[in-house]
Amino acid sequence: MLSKDEILRLNLFSAEIRKATIHALSTAGSGHIGGAMSMVETLAVLYGKVMNVDPQNPHRKDRDRFVLSKGHSGPSLYAALALRGFFPLKELETLNQGDTILPSHADRNKTPGVDFSTGSLGQGISMAAGSALGARYMGNSYYTYCILGDGECDEGQVWEAALFCAQHKLDHLIAFVDYNQQQLDGSVEEVCHLGDLRLKFEQFGWYAQEVDGHEVSQIYEGIRKAQGQTGRPSMIILRTQKGWGCEYALAQPICHHLPISKEIEQQEIERLDREIEEMKRGMA
Amino acid sequence: MSYKGTREAFSVALTELATIDERIVFVSSDSLKAMRAVAFAEKFPEKYIECGISEQGSVDVAAGLAACGQIPFVGTYAGFLTMRACEQMRTFVAYPNLNVKFVGINAGLVGGEREGVTHQFYEDLGILSSIPNVTIFTPADAQQTYEAVKASIEINGPVYIRAGSGREEDIYPAGTPFAEEGFRVLRDYGKDLLICASGFILNRVIASAELLQKEGIHATLADVNILQNRSPEKLIELLKKFDRVLTVEDHNVNGGLGSYICTLACEHHPMYVERMGLKDTFGESGGAEELADAYGFSPENIGKQVHKLMERGR
Repeated sequence: MLSKDEILRLNLFSAEIRKATIHALSTAGSGHIGGAMSMVETLAVLYGKVMNVDPQNPHRKDRDRFVLSKGHSGPSLYAALALRGFFPLKELETLNQGDTILPSHADRNKTPGVDFSTGSLGQGISMAAGSALGARYMGNSYYTYCILGDGECDEGQVWEAALFCAQHKLDHLIAFVDYNQQQLDGSVEEVCHLGDLRLKFEQFGWYAQEVDGHEVSQIYEGIRKAQGQTGRPSMIILRTQKGWGCEYALAQPICHHLPISKEIEQQEIERLDREIEEMKRGMA
Repeated sequence: MSYKGTREAFSVALTELATIDERIVFVSSDSLKAMRAVAFAEKFPEKYIECGISEQGSVDVAAGLAACGQIPFVGTYAGFLTMRACEQMRTFVAYPNLNVKFVGINAGLVGGEREGVTHQFYEDLGILSSIPNVTIFTPADAQQTYEAVKASIEINGPVYIRAGSGREEDIYPAGTPFAEEGFRVLRDYGKDLLICASGFILNRVIASAELLQKEGIHATLADVNILQNRSPEKLIELLKKFDRVLTVEDHNVNGGLGSYICTLACEHHPMYVERMGLKDTFGESGGAEELADAYGFSPENIGKQVHKLMERGR
């Protein structure tokens, strides 16, 4: 279980990730803010507590791997990586510009700390499966974590991978679905209802849990339980809200991709700074 | 070491490679038997990764394995790889330049004999020719397929090896290496024209060159075994010795050998070109020899095209 201080620390990390993400997106002028925001707490738990990674040696062989299957949410991953020291924070201001190391979608060719290029939806989970299988050849020395979007679960390949991971008993694979209920054309329910995702993965042979995706303690507990599994892969359904932690995004009917002005950035950062101050007072 | 046909040749080479390189794994899309790789799986059960009938997932699983240091060979029907999993090959293997090897069987009209259009693939080379980082090997028989598989791991990046039905006629003697320069001259009868062939109709092209020789047309015949070669200088040198070239391939005339040679000729040494292959048509089910004849690959018909080519510009 996380201590109260650790929870505070990870909430602070989440707020810092949000600030850095909004700053990057406003520099670019627009971006996929909704999905970038909804997975922030999971990134904070992974990069702030769980994952064995070394910013000074991003290619270390025994590092844990991360696959951002919903590759369009790259900006908050970049913020987490920059805050962990994989590259200077200043790089975030080059998001999606010419010659950047931070393209809109995650790219292993360009970004230190990014293990897999993603962006075309429905495919990351198969690569994560390959990565988890690869761990076996190295004595199961690492875990592979993968975040999928809910909308991309429309893709048939996700379910090819769901079968494969169970068949191969990939217990060093821990996947998440960021179930924020929105995709480009509308709500997930309206576009292509996913039904009971937890039950679906269970029936595919996974150990499946459902947690509040904005509660770091629940995410952490979910990961700990998943790490305790043997002989089956784990799925953690993150109940989230698209745009969470950015009032501007939350106020839009659909916040998948939005313009972000400097004024909006200022308002959001001021609000996040106030939250950070409150949290710090709580720590003291 | 013994094998018959391109599929068995693949399997034997794979097994030999896995014996000396622990990074080699085989990714199957319910294609272990089709790839004649059962003996490999028996010898290396932990290196045999079965994905079931899911080519898209298979290619991305291979990408994941390669990103973690393994050298996966993905083997299944050529079109199920290059068409169904085309985006996976392009974006998740070729773009990050991952070390994945692909072996596509049933390639060509003859390669997919008796299976018909759904299992006969004459577009694979055209598709892959437009994707950067992919090296394309087109071995002409079993012996060259064996060598191509061995040669593929010398390249740190994606390689596609075109294989057939397993009933290809043997052309090359044992021990012939896979030509690094991307072609090998098999007949040098003279300078009347150059004939470039690729793939499993090579026996028919050789027969045609021999017939033409008797008729007084002195051709040089090259087997082109690497398409879109990044270092085509030697092939360009060869082209420069001629003013006519015929290309013969068991593939659509667009995108494969014909297109490759046309591009080199246009850019370096303009000359008269005839392309033989599938022209604006699909194939059909039938016996290999019967099909090859019906679609224009008889030695006599190849000779006819040469005569036509010899008339051009005169």
